[in-house]
Amino acid sequence: MSFQVALRKELLEQWRTTRLLIVVVVFLALGLSSPLLARLTPELMKLVPGGEAFVPLIPAPTAADAVAQYVKNLSQFGVVLALLMAMGALALEKDKGTLALIVVKPMPRGAIVAAKFAALATSFAIATALAAAAGYYYTWVLFGSVEVAGWALLNVLLWLFFLVYTAVTLLASAITRSQVAAGGLGFAAVVTLSVAGSLPRVGEYFPGQLLVWGATRMTGSEVRSWPALVVSVAIVLGSLVLASVALQHQEL
Amino acid sequence: MAELKPWLPLLFPLLILELGLLIFALRDLRLRERTRGSKWMWAIIILFVSLLGPVLYLTLGREE
Repeated sequence: MSFQVALRKELLEQWRTTRLLIVVVVFLALGLSSPLLARLTPELMKLVPGGEAFVPLIPAPTAADAVAQYVKNLSQFGVVLALLMAMGALALEKDKGTLALIVVKPMPRGAIVAAKFAALATSFAIATALAAAAGYYYTWVLFGSVEVAGWALLNVLLWLFFLVYTAVTLLASAITRSQVAAGGLGFAAVVTLSVAGSLPRVGEYFPGQLLVWGATRMTGSEVRSWPALVVSVAIVLGSLVLASVALQHQEL
Repeated sequence: MAELKPWLPLLFPLLILELGLLIFALRDLRLRERTRGSKWMWAIIILFVSLLGPVLYLTLGREE
């Protein structure tokens, strides 16, 4: 019950602070621009002085280029937005003293962490779904039909990828009292996970592999990565548990 | 620029979204009493850092 109350408060806050709108607009813009950028690269090259000489060297753009552009843009901006949205979630409320007011209601601290995460996850789900619809439509218009099931899987994996960074930054926000420190810790986690994900053999266990899974499904040479999926879910759950524990041991 | 003309109907929604976010952020900045950091700094960031500028202001710059 307390979770539902906390979730309602968080969703309302996402709406009133226009944070939901920000994620939706950015993701929609990326969903629209990625296939366009893939399709218009040769035309854009012609606009660059001396660029016409390179146009014959560029292979004709395909739907695979649109998918690659979509994955690259959405994953980069998604991680930045996960950091920006989650870094102040707990740290800012601790700093202002509003979290102390909620806790005396009484509201279990675990429910607060879970509600904050669920609200952020909902925002990312709505934004990813809209980006997926926009990206699908533009890819279809510019390049022809795209496999719906593969596209849906790619977007679910992208959403899970964002949730990993959201949960890790939420943990950073639970540990510190400053939004900037939480952002710094979250960024350090992003760098660590990215570096670890690029290492041979070890990399296949890290969240970055989810993007490879989704992208390869779209190109017809699917590389399923169940270990990365399990590790990603474990990072999310582990971060939320640790954030709750950290909050339990703090005087607000 | 003639090369891009046939694509304008597809570019238009994208321009609307980006311009809408930029105007929304600038309007918020103008109406807000207090921001974290100077208003001039945020105005420059909103105007010159494409897409990310308005997002940075709306998530970090506003004093709620």
